[in-house]
Amino acid sequence: MSDFLRSYLTVFWFGLAALLLASLLLGIAVLVRPSRPNREKLLTYESGVDPVGDGWSQSQIRYYVFALLFVIFDVEAVFIFPWATQLERYGTFGLVEMGVFVGVLLLGLVYAWRKGVLRWV
Amino acid sequence: MLTVQFLLLGAVLFCIGVYGVLARKNAVMVLMSIELILNSVNLNLLAFSSRLGSIDGNTFALYVIAVAAAEVGVGLAMVLLIYRNRRTIALDELSDMKG
Amino acid sequence: MLASILAQVPWQAPSIDYHAIAPEIVLAAGIVLIILVDLFVGESKKWVTASLTGFVLLGALIPVLTLAVSDPDARSLFDGRYVIDEYALTLKALFLIAGYVVVLLSQNHVEEGDYYQGEYYTLLLTSLTGMVMMASSRDLVSIFVALEFLSIPAYMLAAWRKRDRKSNEAGVKYYLLGVFASAVMLYGMSLLYGVTGSTLLSEIGRQITVDGDFGGVHALAIVFVVVGFAFKVSAVPFHTWAPDTYEGAPTPVTAFLSVASKAAGFVALVTILYVGVPQAKDVWQPFLWVLAALTMTVGNLLALRQSNIVRMLAYSSISQGGFILMPLAVAGTGDAAGPALQAVVVYLLVYAAMNLGMFAVVIAAARTTRSGEISSFGGLFSYAPGLGVLMTIFLASLAGIPPLGGWIAKFAAFRAVLEAGNGWAYGIAVIGAVNSVIAFGYYGNVMREVWMKPAPNGETRAVATPTSLVAALTITGAATLLLGVLPGTVLRFGDLADLVGAFGR
Repeated sequence: MSDFLRSYLTVFWFGLAALLLASLLLGIAVLVRPSRPNREKLLTYESGVDPVGDGWSQSQIRYYVFALLFVIFDVEAVFIFPWATQLERYGTFGLVEMGVFVGVLLLGLVYAWRKGVLRWV
Repeated sequence: MLTVQFLLLGAVLFCIGVYGVLARKNAVMVLMSIELILNSVNLNLLAFSSRLGSIDGNTFALYVIAVAAAEVGVGLAMVLLIYRNRRTIALDELSDMKG
Repeated sequence: MLASILAQVPWQAPSIDYHAIAPEIVLAAGIVLIILVDLFVGESKKWVTASLTGFVLLGALIPVLTLAVSDPDARSLFDGRYVIDEYALTLKALFLIAGYVVVLLSQNHVEEGDYYQGEYYTLLLTSLTGMVMMASSRDLVSIFVALEFLSIPAYMLAAWRKRDRKSNEAGVKYYLLGVFASAVMLYGMSLLYGVTGSTLLSEIGRQITVDGDFGGVHALAIVFVVVGFAFKVSAVPFHTWAPDTYEGAPTPVTAFLSVASKAAGFVALVTILYVGVPQAKDVWQPFLWVLAALTMTVGNLLALRQSNIVRMLAYSSISQGGFILMPLAVAGTGDAAGPALQAVVVYLLVYAAMNLGMFAVVIAAARTTRSGEISSFGGLFSYAPGLGVLMTIFLASLAGIPPLGGWIAKFAAFRAVLEAGNGWAYGIAVIGAVNSVIAFGYYGNVMREVWMKPAPNGETRAVATPTSLVAALTITGAATLLLGVLPGTVLRFGDLADLVGAFGR
């Protein structure tokens, strides 16, 4: 077995331990607690509100713009992480570059704000 | 390292993606298939990068990820646009122009 | 993990030659400026963005000119990943001027429709920035980023009319095929990186040699990359998006796509073939040969049966693309590398002038005819003689009639092909010659409408041509005429020794 795969053994043991522990605790709970189901108890828990419709209902189209903005800004952060790990090494040059980059991202945010996209109407 | 396995996985993903683009009629499905191709590219780049011990492949993959997000943003917006105008996202019904 | 990988990579702040990247800086600053201006001015003052865009483009042209006269040596940044040589400068100038003409074409079109003006010009400028970057890119990563930089705004421009079904369809078709093509191209690039260990094109050129362990993966990588750009330049059989996108998109955008976007595709293709994989010519030459032959023939035959002028121009631009591919198909044979590069650059310059001019005439004439049908242009000469004459000039140039620009371009292309002088070269030359003759059919058809047919609605009063369109017509008309009358100047632009060196090894 290669070193690469062996290092995954840890992950495997860890996952196994988590699985065992969780099933142990839940198993004890099942054995100990009384079981008296009724309709209210079997309802899907939705913050104490009675659920309406089923889980596959369509979601509001308004979420779309927010999701889109989130994806773009979230993914652009991929360029910030490598820079952040080597902050001191890249020095002033890196700082200025990242300033320009974040500035352009901010411009996108300003655009979204001026267009009223960020307001929930 | 398992470079060959990674490359094979990449090739399989690439083929599934190309099949999806050519065979699917649903615009969102086609977009997802294109994402699959881009992910196979990333897998390739990272496998090569770690085998060659060079950072270039990692950098390339970062750019691919960022650009793919931008592409999908535009793509979904366009799919929304045709849905608004036509109430369908089936690609074979996009046939106002022919010839 | 990330930190430890990065810590191993030697790094020092790159010294940046700000003069060399001044055009890109001007464009980037211009984009930011236009977005801000658009956000904070009132609806009645939106026309400011159009003028600003024009100024930004001309402003970016200044450093290009100063770079051209300052020193003849190529400037190279980031270890040769970004090179500003004569080739790059010539094409940067082409993109900027073509962009300026497109702004002139757009002005009335955009103001009269209910478009988002600021966004339109921002996207146009962004796309142009990508093209300007493409001319200098000498690395797989920067070529990829430049390609997406120019394509993604172009997808949005094609779908510009939000509520128009045809424009939506144009945008979606362009988007899906474009993204698919760039994904396939990326796969090829990843393989190319894997087999050579570098993303730098000149290093790839050193690694890929005929005598080494050249194998199937190398060939596959090169073919995938070429296929990606074949989509971009709408070469048959990867052309299916072009006619629909050209017809559905707003006409100025069509002009932009058919000239600037196509030129950018050719620029990237030439850079990769000449710097990256010149030694693998046995792989790409036959492939490009087939593409060129198919593109010329299919484009022409389909153009013959079109009744809509924009659709006819779409197919005509596909077949013109075939003529640009023709010298590349034999670029590795004999001494053809130099003349082939010259032919491609000259063809791109001339093609930009005459095709933009053609679209300018169509936009100007359509203000009167209100239709894109070829038959609606009947009698154009009788009620708008200026437009009639200009249209004839551009059509004749597209057909390759001397002494106009198109003739010089075709001449350079055929000369490069004959320079190669083997069976393949003579074969493609014959196909090209036959196609030049076929092309007279559809160009002549439009001329006959303009000169001989009566106006479809009897007496027609011409709608006045706005100043910006007149300016665009003047620039393109003068360029088409001058390039034809003074072939020495344009051939001099194509005389670029820097790139050809790699073939000699």
